[in-house]
Amino acid sequence: MTRLTRRTFLKIAVGGAAVVGGPGAPRAQAKTFKIGAVHPVTGPLAEPGQACRLGAQMAVEAVNAAGGIKGKGGLKLELLVGDTQTKPENGRVEAERVVNQGAQMLLGSFDSGSTNAMVSVAQQKRVPFLIDIAAADPITANVAKSVKEGQQKVQYVYRNFPTASSFGRKAVQYFTEIFAEAKVTPKRVVLMYCNDLFGQSQSRGFLAAYKVAKPAWTLLEDDVIAWPEPPSDLSTEVSKAKALKPDVISPITRPASAQLLLPEIRKQRLDILGIIGPGSPGFYEAGQIAVLKDDVEYAMVSNPWANFKNPRTNQVADEYKKRSHGKTFDTNSGYSYDAILVIADVLERATNLDDADAIVDALKTTNYTGGLMQYAGPIHFNELGDNPNAVTTMTQILGQKAVAVWPREAALQKFVFPRPRA
Amino acid sequence: MKWALGLTALAVLLGLPTVLSGYAVTIFVLIFFYAFLAQAWNIVGGYAGQLSAGHAAFVGVGGYTAALLLDRGITPWLGMLVGAALAAVLGSIIGYLGFRFGLRGFYLVLLTVAFAEVCRILASNIDAVGGAVGLYITFTGNPRQFQFQDQRAYYYLALALMLLGTGVVALIERRRFGIYLTAIREDEGACEALGVPTFKYKMLAMVVSAFLTGLGGTFYAFYLFSLQPNTVFGIPLSVEIIIRAVIGGAGTLLGPILGSFILTPLGVPISPPHHQARLAMTAPEKRTAPAPISNRPPTRPAA
Repeated sequence: MTRLTRRTFLKIAVGGAAVVGGPGAPRAQAKTFKIGAVHPVTGPLAEPGQACRLGAQMAVEAVNAAGGIKGKGGLKLELLVGDTQTKPENGRVEAERVVNQGAQMLLGSFDSGSTNAMVSVAQQKRVPFLIDIAAADPITANVAKSVKEGQQKVQYVYRNFPTASSFGRKAVQYFTEIFAEAKVTPKRVVLMYCNDLFGQSQSRGFLAAYKVAKPAWTLLEDDVIAWPEPPSDLSTEVSKAKALKPDVISPITRPASAQLLLPEIRKQRLDILGIIGPGSPGFYEAGQIAVLKDDVEYAMVSNPWANFKNPRTNQVADEYKKRSHGKTFDTNSGYSYDAILVIADVLERATNLDDADAIVDALKTTNYTGGLMQYAGPIHFNELGDNPNAVTTMTQILGQKAVAVWPREAALQKFVFPRPRA
Repeated sequence: MKWALGLTALAVLLGLPTVLSGYAVTIFVLIFFYAFLAQAWNIVGGYAGQLSAGHAAFVGVGGYTAALLLDRGITPWLGMLVGAALAAVLGSIIGYLGFRFGLRGFYLVLLTVAFAEVCRILASNIDAVGGAVGLYITFTGNPRQFQFQDQRAYYYLALALMLLGTGVVALIERRRFGIYLTAIREDEGACEALGVPTFKYKMLAMVVSAFLTGLGGTFYAFYLFSLQPNTVFGIPLSVEIIIRAVIGGAGTLLGPILGSFILTPLGVPISPPHHQARLAMTAPEKRTAPAPISNRPPTRPAA
């Protein structure tokens, strides 16, 4: 056997790279409309990223099974999937790749960093981009600004997802309405949050919205309690909260910290009206409820939520559960599913699918009511390119199940607040 | 012969964007960019043998500075130099603390990582620089703002950066400076005994390296259009930089470039999309079981 020298190694490496990087075998296929769906399917955000991808795939199958884009001769949709590996630079790389392979629209990409990297590709290459999930306000606002200032001609980026600032606004609104409905005015609401990117942005949005709204209830703005994420113990933080004599605990958690926080609140016997989170994971997931049991009963949290009053949502959720090995049809799979439905609607109405600007014109005039998520009205895009009707829903754990309880039009059950005393 | 080879390679690289697809150009941009960062690290980590594992801090300082200055109306072409200068200042502080107290090997690694982490935590908690949410740069495509409508402009810019880095290293290598650095790496004690001012040269290496890395930070910011503390100050970026130089050959002129040509394409997701999408559509039951839901990272968008 010959020794592997550096030279032979390099030859092999270069040869291998050429094989991998070379063009694939030509495929004979009917004409389809290609959508590049880029999500973090590997890396730290793999789980939600895979949910997004599966949601989008199921929606594409559903649209195709129903006859494709009827107004365009039954044109079928095709998903070109991409993976950001949870790295911003790959948002750009993958967007370039799918566009290169013929994607005429982009979809993505869950984390705001990768999404903003994709925005530059969409604007550079004039490819309409519908953001299915990403909350940072500047993503669309920046593009709208540069179009307004004349630095870009057309805005190619639109978003059907609540923005970070709207999360806070809606949470404050729901708190106010629920307290009013329950005829209580809590004077000591204590905000607790995980001190990472997500927790900071959520708590900041909530505090800012509270300042603007000036509601009748009182948030202890100067006594906000943060913990480093992931925490190993939250007993100190909970004792601090207890010392503030709270009426309501308002936590922003991650799944792991929720598992520490809620049992600790029980152990330290906090005498409170209830636990209401302004928006975070940790309460509603099937796995979390199984672990937290009674500790999470009656806890409320405001999150993007599917509209289970719609029979079609229940059908899709059942199919999703089968195909994802038992997972809930939630924010991620739901918004990606809806994004494809919106795209299908846009393609029906666009005058010319080979002209990106015609697709954008159709996007701008969207007025779609077939979405499976809970909206405050039809899906449409405002001057920033955001859907102002993409809102959160207050859910509560009732009978060990997460149920929509507010706003009234979304509620499947009446909320229980104040929670019954143990 | 060497010159002829080099010039041919350069001519090929200059001509490539005319034949490459947008996707391939993007990969080349990343190859050049990481080669540049690795080349900058090579000065202090390769030639001088001082293992810095916190170079991401310089990328972050450079990028944040240029982005924040643009908000105040200063073009990133200038902001780039300011950012690099600030990175060099940070480099000199880290270098002074590390070299003045004779930290070597593992201890220097800890010090440099610690500084990068301090930067990350500071940036995450200072609202004026965007906090944990970071900064989002508006895409305008305006060359004055270091942005281009044509992807090929980034290609040439990244290529220029790589050539700049390599040029600086080539210059250093041929001078007494480079020879001193190599000597320090091989046997610092003997070097000192012969009268080489090791502290001074190690400091110089660190400052030059930090300055160049800071320049790279501006490119990063205006190529990806967002800066988040975790990505630009995080340990993973430092490792990305080091690993390219080490695999290609630390302390050699072409090592970082070779390393980047090997590793960058490998870091790009290789997913034959048609195949994958079709597999998922026709045979959902064949997919591997997803991980359990509890104790996982967020199931909600990060920002």
